[in-house]
Amino acid sequence: MNDLMPVSLQVNGIRYDVAIQPWRTLLEVLRETLTMTGTKRSCGEGQCGACTVLLDGKAVSSCMYLAVEAQGKEILTIEGPVGGDPALEQIQRSFAAKGAIQCGFCTPGMVMITKDLLSHTPEPDEDEIRDALVGHVCRCTGYVQIVEAIQDAANGMQAAARGMQDAASAMQDAAGATQDAAREMARKGGA
Amino acid sequence: MTYLKRLPKFEYVSPQSLPEVCGLIAGTSNDEVMLLAGGTDAILQMRRRERVPRRVIGLKGVADLGLVREQADGSLAIGAMTTLQTLLSAPVVIRRYDLLRETAAQIGGYELRNVATVGGNIAGALPCADLPPALMTLGARVRLSSRRGDRWVPLEEFFPEFGRTVAENDELVAEINLPRPAPNSAGTYLKFHDRHSMDMTVVGVSAFVVRDDESRTFRDVRLAYASGAPTVFRAKRAEAVLRGQALTEEGLEAAAETACAESNPRTSWRANGAYRLELIRALTKRAIRRAWEKASSQTETKP
Repeated sequence: MNDLMPVSLQVNGIRYDVAIQPWRTLLEVLRETLTMTGTKRSCGEGQCGACTVLLDGKAVSSCMYLAVEAQGKEILTIEGPVGGDPALEQIQRSFAAKGAIQCGFCTPGMVMITKDLLSHTPEPDEDEIRDALVGHVCRCTGYVQIVEAIQDAANGMQAAARGMQDAASAMQDAAGATQDAAREMARKGGA
Repeated sequence: MTYLKRLPKFEYVSPQSLPEVCGLIAGTSNDEVMLLAGGTDAILQMRRRERVPRRVIGLKGVADLGLVREQADGSLAIGAMTTLQTLLSAPVVIRRYDLLRETAAQIGGYELRNVATVGGNIAGALPCADLPPALMTLGARVRLSSRRGDRWVPLEEFFPEFGRTVAENDELVAEINLPRPAPNSAGTYLKFHDRHSMDMTVVGVSAFVVRDDESRTFRDVRLAYASGAPTVFRAKRAEAVLRGQALTEEGLEAAAETACAESNPRTSWRANGAYRLELIRALTKRAIRRAWEKASSQTETKP
């Protein structure tokens, strides 16, 4: 049996061509082969959420996913893409600001599930937040702060989106004024 | 607790079409070859060395197994590789099969629903699986495919004994078909478990009811159970107690009593048999009542 399989993994926007054994999980390959140790290994059976990564934007437990099966998918880990990701950064700021990080071991998984949640539910209520967290445990038990951090991140992202809209409409106004001025000048020039 | 090892060594293949899968499993045994759907059960079985296959056939790339679509005859076809998340967010499921949506939404968290599949939940033959009771009460049939051809099996005849299905070694679950629900019908799935959504079901009850045109009596009642016996099963005698009757407290009591008599729950560290029987009694009554109310509210919104 030829053990090694050539696999191309797209992690945080970078392509990694690796030769791996097919029985290795995505978690093992991320941590051991690509030395990205931000994704944590804990229960090994999908109960704790420490190993959550996003595949094509959807949360999965990387301890229960074969690395070979992640080929062709966009893998996003807590390390984040080169050049940054505004959502991931906002979520991490909110976790720090709200005291949602104690020992920090569950945090990478919590941040990733928040990114998934806010991508389809930008204004979650507490039930929706707690529903997203059912597969995650925090052994420091700081759940209240985690829920608050997720609410804060949602508010921050909404505010940022509104800021962008305001900036866009201000630019449109400015562009309109410039056009008006240009038309006025053209009229005067023609007269 | 069993210490979870790394996965055992295996050869991995990823066929792209259903005929290719059928070719790969023809003439093999379940000991040497394992079909890997979502993997949320299968990977744990391999970690615990309950199964040590020589070869793993990954099904995630088989595009023709991942579709949810309405058929010309009004029935619904669900590809075996449909994930629970895809199922519960499919517009047709939201519109016509709320029981199914409700059941899938109660399974695991995001991480699990994004990979676990309908076919895996059935083919695993676990008595605690949540989808089979709901699918059974909706009248599901299972399409088994092999190189010899296809055959259809009613889901309620699919689990002959604990941990086993009627599928032969060279067959795989390819599709599930659901008839269009009758007018004035609705169902609900209630389950009891320790940690919200993340633990095995201690007892699960699916109740599906059809009310008569005047909404006074049960035209039909179907009940199926998870973790109520060594396999998921339908409690047909309990159903018969209510069929043609109006909803009364005595009727619910009698149906629940009969359902308990038809059950054979086991004792495990999660719960003992007597406790599970109490759950079956309580959840049966609650589920039937809720399904009845749901059926009447649907009648009001969709005359």
